[in-house]
Amino acid sequence: MPRLSSLPAWFGVLVLEIILLIIMAITQPVFFSSSNISNIVRSSAIPIILGIGMTFTILTAGIDLSVGSVLAFTGILLSGFITHMPRVSAVLLSIVITTIVVGGINGLLIGKLGLNSFVVTLGTLGIFRGIAYLVTNGTTRSMDTGKLINTLGDGNFGPVPGPLLVVIVVAGLSIWALKSTYFGRDVYAVGGNEFAARLAGVFTSRVKMTVYFISALLAALAGIMQVGRLQSAAPTAGAGIELAVVAGVLLGGTRLSGGVGSITGTVIGLLFLQTVSNSLTIQGVSSYWQQVVTGVLLGAAVLFDRFRVQYSGRRKSREENNVTKE
Amino acid sequence: MTNRVSMLGITKHFDAVKALQGASLELHAGEVHTLAGENGSGKSTLLKILAGVIRSDDGKIAIEGSEVVFTGVRDAMSRGISMVSQELSLVPHLSIAENVFLGHNQTRGKLGIDWRDTEKRAVEVLKRLNLNVNPKDEVSSLPQHEQQLVEIARAMAANSNVLLLDEPTSSLAPNEVAALFKVVRQLRDEGVAIVMISHRMSEMLEISDRFTVLRDSKFIDTSTRDGVTEDWLIERMVLNKPKKAIRLEKSNAKPELVLEVKGMTDRAGAFQDISFNLYQGEIVGLAGLAGAGRTELVEAIVGLHPRQSGDVVVSGKTVGHSTRATMNAGIALVPDDRREKSTIHEMSIRDNLLLAIHGRPQKQRSKSGEEKIVADWVDKFKIKMSNPYAPISSLSGGNQQKVVIARCLETKPKVLILDEATRGIDLGAKAEIYQILRELAAEGLAILVVSSELSEIFEISDRVLVMHAGDLTADLDRSNIEESDVVSAATGAKK
Repeated sequence: MPRLSSLPAWFGVLVLEIILLIIMAITQPVFFSSSNISNIVRSSAIPIILGIGMTFTILTAGIDLSVGSVLAFTGILLSGFITHMPRVSAVLLSIVITTIVVGGINGLLIGKLGLNSFVVTLGTLGIFRGIAYLVTNGTTRSMDTGKLINTLGDGNFGPVPGPLLVVIVVAGLSIWALKSTYFGRDVYAVGGNEFAARLAGVFTSRVKMTVYFISALLAALAGIMQVGRLQSAAPTAGAGIELAVVAGVLLGGTRLSGGVGSITGTVIGLLFLQTVSNSLTIQGVSSYWQQVVTGVLLGAAVLFDRFRVQYSGRRKSREENNVTKE
Repeated sequence: MTNRVSMLGITKHFDAVKALQGASLELHAGEVHTLAGENGSGKSTLLKILAGVIRSDDGKIAIEGSEVVFTGVRDAMSRGISMVSQELSLVPHLSIAENVFLGHNQTRGKLGIDWRDTEKRAVEVLKRLNLNVNPKDEVSSLPQHEQQLVEIARAMAANSNVLLLDEPTSSLAPNEVAALFKVVRQLRDEGVAIVMISHRMSEMLEISDRFTVLRDSKFIDTSTRDGVTEDWLIERMVLNKPKKAIRLEKSNAKPELVLEVKGMTDRAGAFQDISFNLYQGEIVGLAGLAGAGRTELVEAIVGLHPRQSGDVVVSGKTVGHSTRATMNAGIALVPDDRREKSTIHEMSIRDNLLLAIHGRPQKQRSKSGEEKIVADWVDKFKIKMSNPYAPISSLSGGNQQKVVIARCLETKPKVLILDEATRGIDLGAKAEIYQILRELAAEGLAILVVSSELSEIFEISDRVLVMHAGDLTADLDRSNIEESDVVSAATGAKK
């Protein structure tokens, strides 16, 4: 049997996900209907996209709490542009502006000036949510999104759900970037030991800046997807989602202290949370309970990870003792 | 011949503090050059400037005769200068191979980093340093001295011809030091210029080809190996020679048993079945290599480290497991890591000193009473400070340690345990602390001194305990003891 400690951190959540799927398959036939599966996939796409950006920031031992607000802000921006120009241009312009403005503020303050990421992004969380309310006066703006935006957020691309395609592309690129590029390895190095990274010649402030640009870019993309899903832009969109996203990322084995984690884990963690909430809905459990369950699961995951590390650490030190005694 | 590196008139200020005032250093190819000086003399700062970690305010650096200005670590590295810092600077959860090539030296293939080739190259570099390990393993799975070799491997992988080693031996056991020195000599013979900082006199004299001494942030002297002796170095490093602490005669003839540790085993597997006694008025040294379980043992005695089984008995009474219970029973610990475990940096000297007596009933406490307590200790221990309300971080390491010892003594303990209490403290303050311990023992306190420095163990102990791999392997009386006895017990060698 492979050692518990050599398995990836997300393995436990994957097992839970499979168990949950089996239980649901037996007890609730409706769960595996194509419309419900499609529903789970579509509703988990936005949290996963945000979670991938969040994984980059948490890997550097930071955090980006502004993603929910940025999602709403991008939607509002799009609603403004869309009446004045072709839809493709409106989408690109909203994404570019959001990335530069939000990524610029978060990245400069955290990466360049070394301010605390929690405080800075708590600030931008407030600012961009506030702007979204100010611009719309608190009202929801409906719009004719057209095929492109609709496909990204809700529709199908051939036989494949559009949001699923977005997730596959973004996750694939991110996995590759983290594993096989200098930048990706720098992300792990900065989170694992910032001083060591600096001493090895890594431009740590640049790496930290970049992850907030990535997070802003993906939050903007999620904002467009949200508009495509709802055919409207609301200043309330994505309120509070950042905490659910952080929970999913942590469930997937990424450590808040940085340096350890994976995109695969994040995808599985967020998919699991979505499956749980969907299952509870089908079982007829109140949505209030879903938050309680999410909290309990998060606590359980962190506890499990602690035991896993401790167990392997103890075994290792025993083995070392045995070796030296022989 | 031009020097590989010459630094001239280097000056550096940190706010109002002068870290360096016109310091110089000349480095030849193929030499081991020791930078000697007390803590705070500016050695580390000088190395950091040469490594591009910090920038000097003034002064010139020339490589092979041509002047350079470093823009950062990367720039210094590209000119062949690498530093292995005092704290291990590895990324613990990344692989060995990756740590060797950290900083964009991994092999780049068509689709990003080529891990197979990177790992192959890592094995080659590590072989040069006599290290045979699996490059895919997490670097944190290696013992500490091998992790250090990984850092040196990183410098070699970057084709460095100037290697800066900041206290590379501070946490190594004698056999590990020997292995490191073998590598250092090998690199020197290959033409690498090596600068080393060490606090161990014997090591400096063993390995160095040349010496440069700094004192009070200034250049003092430089010399080749010939003619350099321990006295030569001390004379230049220290302005006022430390006095040898005097061994005081014991007042009580029949020592009373104060502390009994019975069959103690911890939960993490760091040590097992440890039993020993401590008598009134004696100083017992606890020797051993890093990782032998000494810190875990003393922390388990005071309830900081979870135990599996065993008892702690003070004056015949079994003590509970909590830190509060052990404190009330009269055991006090000065922990091994001052920064992490004992001082609270932002708090004042006064608050740090009074921290352990916060549990006293309110009516026993008064501002004037507390001021007197602080004043008495400052006076008794000759703590050098501007005023008691200054942050403790404004004190030198030695004076901070005196505050911590005073804090422990204010709880009126029967047993005082000190874990690596003089690590990183300069010679003068060290001698003062030894003197304090002697006086305390003469007053009847039982003292346990954990130390990795054999000279310290020999200087201060009446009796020596030795640990190896979690076992107590020797209990030796000071009167008939050889250095080799301690070393063989600490390394687990059979006689």
